[in-house]
Amino acid sequence: MDFGFYDLDLAIYDEMFVADGEPREHCRAVYEALRNTPREEFETIQERVTRSFSQEGITFTVYGEEEAEERIIPIDCVPRLLRLAEWRQLEAGLVQRIKALNLFLGDVYGECRIVKDGVIPADVILDCPQYRPELRGVRVPNNVWVAVCGTDIVRTHDGFMVLEDNLRVPSGVSYMIANRKAVKAGLRRLYRTCRVQEIEHYGSQLRRTLGELAPDGRKDPSLALLTPGTYNSAFYEHMFLAQEIGAELVEGQDLLVNDGFVYMRTTSGLRRVDVIYRRVDDDFLDPLTFREDSLLGVPGLINAFRRGHVTLANAPGTGVADDKSVYAYVPDMVRYYLSEEPLLLNVETRLCRRPEDLEYTLDNLEHLVTKRVGESGGYGMLVGPHSTAEERDAFAEKLRADPADYISQPTLPLSRSPCLVEGRAEPRHVDLRPFVLTGVETRIVPGAFCRVALRRGSLVVNSSQGGGGKDLWVVDLEGS
Amino acid sequence: MLSRSAQGVYWMGRYLTRAQYLSHLLELHVQALVDRPVGEIHFGWRRIYRAMKRLPPPGEEWLPEADEFALADSFTLADDLTFDRTNPESVWSSLERGRENARQMRHCISAEMWTCLNRAYLWMRDLEAVDIWRTPEAFYSRTCNEIHNFIGVADATMYRGPAWRFMRLGRAIERIQLVVSLILAQTDLSRRTRIPNLGWPSMLRAHRAAEAYSRIHGIEIQPDRVLDLLVADPLLPASLLSSLRAAAGELDAIETGPGVEADAAARRLSGRACAIILYDWPEAEERDDLIRRVGQCARDLHDAVLGAFVDYAIEDSPLR
Repeated sequence: MDFGFYDLDLAIYDEMFVADGEPREHCRAVYEALRNTPREEFETIQERVTRSFSQEGITFTVYGEEEAEERIIPIDCVPRLLRLAEWRQLEAGLVQRIKALNLFLGDVYGECRIVKDGVIPADVILDCPQYRPELRGVRVPNNVWVAVCGTDIVRTHDGFMVLEDNLRVPSGVSYMIANRKAVKAGLRRLYRTCRVQEIEHYGSQLRRTLGELAPDGRKDPSLALLTPGTYNSAFYEHMFLAQEIGAELVEGQDLLVNDGFVYMRTTSGLRRVDVIYRRVDDDFLDPLTFREDSLLGVPGLINAFRRGHVTLANAPGTGVADDKSVYAYVPDMVRYYLSEEPLLLNVETRLCRRPEDLEYTLDNLEHLVTKRVGESGGYGMLVGPHSTAEERDAFAEKLRADPADYISQPTLPLSRSPCLVEGRAEPRHVDLRPFVLTGVETRIVPGAFCRVALRRGSLVVNSSQGGGGKDLWVVDLEGS
Repeated sequence: MLSRSAQGVYWMGRYLTRAQYLSHLLELHVQALVDRPVGEIHFGWRRIYRAMKRLPPPGEEWLPEADEFALADSFTLADDLTFDRTNPESVWSSLERGRENARQMRHCISAEMWTCLNRAYLWMRDLEAVDIWRTPEAFYSRTCNEIHNFIGVADATMYRGPAWRFMRLGRAIERIQLVVSLILAQTDLSRRTRIPNLGWPSMLRAHRAAEAYSRIHGIEIQPDRVLDLLVADPLLPASLLSSLRAAAGELDAIETGPGVEADAAARRLSGRACAIILYDWPEAEERDDLIRRVGQCARDLHDAVLGAFVDYAIEDSPLR
C-alpha cells in the first residue's frame, strides 16, 4: 500500500503518524505491514470485506422519494489503532460521565436539586423538547435511566473530547462487530501480532446488563427488543442485537398491556415481558402518553413502566440529558453530583439563547459549526468553513428567529487516520463511538464504531451523509 | 415463539416453495420450446396460466379456443411469469417476498440460511435480461438449485424449534395447493383437447416423478397411473399424500395453539385430507372432485393455522 501521497497536516492530529512522518510506536507494525502489502492484495481484501457485507445483508435503509434502498455502510479496512493505556483513560472518563448523567436524570425527574442549586437554569431543561414531565416521580431499577449509551468522541491535539452523548436509542454497535469480523478475516496475521482487545462479548455484556435491570430483581427475566419495524434504517442492527442477546424481536403490534403488565403474543399464548430494550423513540412508545397517532407503540406501556412492572432500556425521557444545550452543562453535572473534575473534555459550546453567545455566533459563523439542538445525523447544521455566504445569511436569519434552538461550537480539526483510497493511503477525518453499558455496574467493551468521513476534506462522518466505518483496534503492545 | 415470527417463517417457506415450483415448470417449458410440437408448447402455457389463475399479459392473444396462445411470444410469457413485479406469483416476486420474510426473521433462522438466500437474491437482482434469455434453462435451473441449497442448508443448520416447524408447515401447505392447481389444470385441459397423453409426461417431470413412474409402471404413460403417483404415492416427495403427511407431522410437533377451536380444526383438516386420499381415492370415480376437496382442505388448513397461532383472540389466551 502506497503511503507516498499521504499528506500530513500538522494542525490536525494524525492517528498513525507523528509530525516528522514517522509512525507512532503502537502503529509501527501495522504501518510496516500495510506498506509491504501490494496494492492489489489490499484491494482484494477491501473488495472481500465489502462483498461479505453485501452477502450477509449488513445494511441500513435509505428512503428515497419512491422506494427504500438497502445500502451497506462503506467500510475502510485499514484499522485505526489506540493504545490500551489511552483506552483505559477514555474508559475512566466514560464511566464517570455516564454515572453523572444517570444521576442527573434521576434528579431532573425527581427533586430537581441541580436546578434549585442554580447549576443549570430551569429554562434549559423546560425548553428541551425531550424533557418529559409525564415521568416526574418515576423510579427506575438500580437508578439506571441509561443502560446503553453511545458517546461520540473526537480527538484533536488537545486530547479526546466528547462531541455528543447519545442516550436515547444509540445505534452502530452492530457495525462495530461486523467491521471487526470482516477486517479480522482479511488481516489475520496482523491482527494476532497486534494483540487486539476482543469485542465479541458485547452481546453477552448487554444481556447481563439488561438482566440486572429486571423489575423487582426478577431472575431469568424475559427480554424483548422493540423495533419500529423492518422499514427502520437500523433494522439490521435490531435483528442482530435481538439474536445476540436471545431476545424476541417485537414490534408494537406484538405487545399488549393487561392489568399493568406487558405481554407479547406468542404461538403458545400471551407471555409476560420483563425488560424491553426499546429502539423506538419516546414520541412513538405509547399513544396514550405521547403521540396519539403512533402506530409503533403499545397503549399503556408507560403506565406499566411507571408502576415498575416492566423495565424500558433506555428509559423514556433520557433525551433531556443528550440535548445539545444541556450537553454544555455535563462537566458541571460531574462536579455537582460526583465532586470530581471531569476526565473527558467537552467541546466548548455557546448557547445562542444567551445574547452574548448569539452575538458571538453571528459574528463568527464562518469559523463555527452551528447546530439546531433538536437535530441529529448531521442534519440542521452549518459547517462554517465549508459554507457559502448565501448559506450563512440564510442560517443567520434562522438563528435570529429562534436563538434558543441553536448552539455553536468551534470547527474542530478532527483527527485523521489512513484510509485506502484508489489504491493508496490517504488521510480522512474520524471519530469514534464507544458503547457504555450500565446495569449494576458499568461495562465497556474495548472497541467502538469508528466513523470516517470518506469524502476528501469532509468533517461529516454520518453514514447518511457519505460517512463510512472503520475498525478500531485497541492494542496491548506492552502485553499487560 | 412470537406469533408474528411464526407467520414470517411460515410465509418464507410458502414463497420459496412457490418460486421453486414455478421455476422448475418454466425450466421444463423453455426446454420444450426447443424441440416440442407447437401444440404441446401452447398446451403447456395454458396449463401454467390456468394453474396460476392468471391471464397472459396484455397484448398477447387470449382466445377461448385451443389456440389461444398461438400468437403469444413465449419469451414475453416467460418474462411475465418470471420477472414481472406486478405479478405477485412471478418467480422474482416470490423469491423477493421469501427473502424479505427471511430478512425480517433472520433472528429465527440460521445465519447460513440467510446468507445462502441473500446470495441467491443478489445474484438474481443483478442479472441482465440479455444473459438470462440467452440460456433460460440455465437460469431456471440455477434458481431451483439455489432454493434447493437453501433447503439443504436449513436442514443442516436450523434449530428444530417452532420456527423450523412453521417453515416446513408453510412449505407443505404451499406444495399441496400448487400440485392441486396444476393437476386440475392438466385434467381440465386434457378433457378439452382430447389428445391422448398430452401434457402427462411433463406432469411427471414437473414433480420429479418420471424415474419413479418408469420403475413402477414402465415406459407407457397412462394418465390414471400418473395421477395415482402424484396424488397417493407415499414414497414420492412431491405427492399430495406426502405433503399432507408432512403438514400433519409438523402440526403434531407444534404445541397446541391458543386459538383452541382453530387449532382443533387445523389438526382435523390435515387428518381429513389424508383420509380422503388414503380411503376415497382408490375407488373414486370423480377424481377431480376429490382433488378439489383436498385443495379446499389445504386452504382451510392455512386459515386454521393462522387462527390457531397468530390471529387468535386475546381473551382466549392463557397468561404466562
